[in-house]
Amino acid sequence: MHTEQEAQQIVTRIVSLSKADNVEVNLGGGTTSHLRFANNSPSTSGSVSNSTISIRSTFGKKTGTVGLNQTDEASLREGVRRSEELARLSPEDPEFMPPLGPQRYGEVNSFDKTMADNGPEFMADAAAECIQQAAKRNLLATGFLQSNAGWSALGNSRGLFGYHRTTSMYFSETVRTPEGDGSGWVSAASHKTADFRFQELAKVAVDKAALSRNPKPLPPGKYVTILEPSCVADLLQGMVFSLNARSADEGRSFFSRREGGNKLGEKLFPENVTIYTDPNDPLAPGSRWGADGLPQRRIEWVKEGMLANLNYSRYWAEKQGATPTPGGSNLIFKGGDGSLEDLIRSTKEGVLVTSIWYIRSVDPRSLLLTGLTRDGVFWIENGKIAHPVNNFRWNDSPISVLKNIDAMSKSARVPPRESRSPNVVVPALRVKEFNFSSVSEAV
Amino acid sequence: MKRREFLKTTAATGTLLFIPSLPLGRSNTVQFSNPDFEKLAEAALSSARTLGATYADIRIARYRTQSVSTREKRVLNVSDSESYGFGIRVIARGTWGFAASQVVTQEEIVKVAKQAVAIATINSKLQRQPLTLAPVQAYKTSWSTPIRKNPFDVPLQEKVEKLLGINEEALKVRGVTFCSSSAAFVNEHKFFASTEDSMIEQDLHRCEPSFTVTSVNRELGSFQTRNSYAEPQGMGYEYFEEYPWLEDVRQAGEDVMEKHKARSVEPGKRDLILHPSNLWLTIHESVGHPTELDRALGMEANYAGTSFLTLDKRGTFKFGSDIVNFVADKTQKNGLATSGYDDDGVKTTEWHLVRNGVFIDYQTTREQAHILGKKASDGTCYAQSWNAVPFQRMPNVSLQPGPKPLRISDLIADTDNAILIKGRGSYSIDHQRYNFQFGGQAYYEVKKGKITGMLKDVAYQARTPDFWNACDAIGGAEEYYLGGSFNDGKGEPGQSNAVSHGCCPSRFRSINILNTARTV
Repeated sequence: MHTEQEAQQIVTRIVSLSKADNVEVNLGGGTTSHLRFANNSPSTSGSVSNSTISIRSTFGKKTGTVGLNQTDEASLREGVRRSEELARLSPEDPEFMPPLGPQRYGEVNSFDKTMADNGPEFMADAAAECIQQAAKRNLLATGFLQSNAGWSALGNSRGLFGYHRTTSMYFSETVRTPEGDGSGWVSAASHKTADFRFQELAKVAVDKAALSRNPKPLPPGKYVTILEPSCVADLLQGMVFSLNARSADEGRSFFSRREGGNKLGEKLFPENVTIYTDPNDPLAPGSRWGADGLPQRRIEWVKEGMLANLNYSRYWAEKQGATPTPGGSNLIFKGGDGSLEDLIRSTKEGVLVTSIWYIRSVDPRSLLLTGLTRDGVFWIENGKIAHPVNNFRWNDSPISVLKNIDAMSKSARVPPRESRSPNVVVPALRVKEFNFSSVSEAV
Repeated sequence: MKRREFLKTTAATGTLLFIPSLPLGRSNTVQFSNPDFEKLAEAALSSARTLGATYADIRIARYRTQSVSTREKRVLNVSDSESYGFGIRVIARGTWGFAASQVVTQEEIVKVAKQAVAIATINSKLQRQPLTLAPVQAYKTSWSTPIRKNPFDVPLQEKVEKLLGINEEALKVRGVTFCSSSAAFVNEHKFFASTEDSMIEQDLHRCEPSFTVTSVNRELGSFQTRNSYAEPQGMGYEYFEEYPWLEDVRQAGEDVMEKHKARSVEPGKRDLILHPSNLWLTIHESVGHPTELDRALGMEANYAGTSFLTLDKRGTFKFGSDIVNFVADKTQKNGLATSGYDDDGVKTTEWHLVRNGVFIDYQTTREQAHILGKKASDGTCYAQSWNAVPFQRMPNVSLQPGPKPLRISDLIADTDNAILIKGRGSYSIDHQRYNFQFGGQAYYEVKKGKITGMLKDVAYQARTPDFWNACDAIGGAEEYYLGGSFNDGKGEPGQSNAVSHGCCPSRFRSINILNTARTV
């Protein structure tokens, strides 16, 4: 773990070695440890320490970038030399934006000393809890725990400097029946050790596995559906990645207007949809800076159903007369009041989905995605889980999902299953319909 | 050279063992590129042994990536990155342990070896059965990808000019609005040593050039794209140099314009003729992954998933029609997963996964071979970097050419009502590899033996064994084409593996076609 002073020394050294008009440095590193277990036994584990340095040199409007992971004098010297050589050889970039001068970055508290000090024993104890709970009920636990204590810094020859320390842990567990006829899953992510209550987490996966045995067939179709927060996190990311002003203005995005320009200011969703980024969110704090070193700030992407902001690079913002955005380092969907159980209780008939998987874009024009359900799909009848049902392939768009919201729970910090981003806060949603297009016999 | 001829020349036919550019040294005579390698390895292995490890290996490796990306007349990014370090893997008390560091010194190696043994020892309390490794021969040797031109020796301007030239050619087609293009070159240089008395140095190369052409049609309120049909290859700069870019990008420009006017597909059951540029990814997802033994055993249940090919199906399960044969091969010419040795220090090889339609084998590593009663590993162990734990990764998996010398034109002429699909599109498959859905880059209607025009909004969806059993024609060796992916994800923490899949155009009867157009 480099201290702020050590990080600053590296930046200062690189700046002093530079002969370019400008040099920008991005640094980061730390220690990452993990433990995997499968079929109630550990499989692989490890601990890695590494740091990376990215040096971007500029001559006029010509830039070159070099990445390296060695910090000795000779490596830094060579890194600077190579980035300058690449810059000299590169053509001029007509969209070049000069590096930012010094910025004021707000404080973000996302470092937990307890987490940074956790050793391999901590992970082994967590795995032991999962394995014991599964074994006690004649089930098989497979899971993963990864912890990181890291730092990042940036600086440049115009006097910009920033430093940030973070901790982060990710946990997920799949519990399967030995016969392969049932499967349950749970996941969690946080920067604080105290947020991981392994006994409770393991119980969720074990209970789901037991409850999902012998699913009954349910034909494909459009059903009232409760999407647990993990599903919502995945679907929402599918949409947020597309919030790019330039793509929209260029006519190649769902957020393009047919006659030119973008859909900013249009009411796209119901009133209860508000989606934003906020580095100081109490549940999932983000980072201090974003793209190009711009300070992170609260940005509402969707405000009470209206498209309120799109991502603008510094170049595109200047061209369009807009304010550049740092890109956001977390994603918050303002939720409702009740719990997931409340949503189930108030549902006459519908499908409850634990998790979705292998989500891919099918058509960027409608943001149509396809994917599958996984590790627990249940039929709800008269406010109760009636029985498990088969998995499905689905084809639907997050735009339709948000338009079809009927009720939502309180928001919780839940990582999307695919990207595992640690800083996503979303509710469970009940939607009037979700398009399950075919049956998947996978369990 | 025409695109078709080029692909024939570069992909060659079938699987060919090739001669490494570095001579395979006789035992104890090979000179490694760094005289310190042996000394550093000895420090790692002897420390691990002293601390109680029954097995240990070390990889000291340098990974270099150069990438250039452009759009229209502009260079978006030029970057050159390097990562250097070492990873030590041990078995202590029958349990794996691993630790890695970027500081490549003898002192750090001793410290990290100790850390790896400590991790293994702590976790051994939970181990149900001690690990068993299949025997392996000791090698003292080196191996390298037989490239003709090292991309890292080629001046940057040449790469930039080539990419901007591709964009310029696309923009000449009336109605094309945007073109972006990029090229990435990777060099993986690693030294492996293990307590099995092996020391192996390898120098691997691969490259991934690509482009995307876009046309925005404001009148229709729509846009269409077409990506390049160029595939990443385990080759040097010669691939980037010789691929017929301008021909491909001109055609892509014409394709996007035609896609605007194309008829939206009628959903329902239709025959499919899949061009290899589309079929390789279907092979990857529906054949490559379910035949990974760790998936079948439940080791990947928490992330990538398990497999419908359970152990009881080996040797009897009718995976596909009689003409369907799949071969796994880590020695395949130009293959992205091709190497001389795997990260267990096992010499690479080839073997059948599916023979005459019957599923007969999995992909294994040293710790898995005994589970199938195999005497040796298949050599499929790989780690994406010095800082990642090696584990079972997919070798190149290819569909063998059909028995008759059929060309794609023969398949079309012989088909009454079908859709021909080219290029890699959307892809998704369930966690046991049953239900899949794929798109493409360009779709053509085939009626009464002729292509009658383009279609749009097409995806095909099927159940893996139904799909391969519906395969009734596979093109001949003349049509063989090597597709592949630079970034196949698996494992926790997630790791990337580059892998190739060869195939010929093939026909599948009565497959479910979806219309993907939506108004939201």
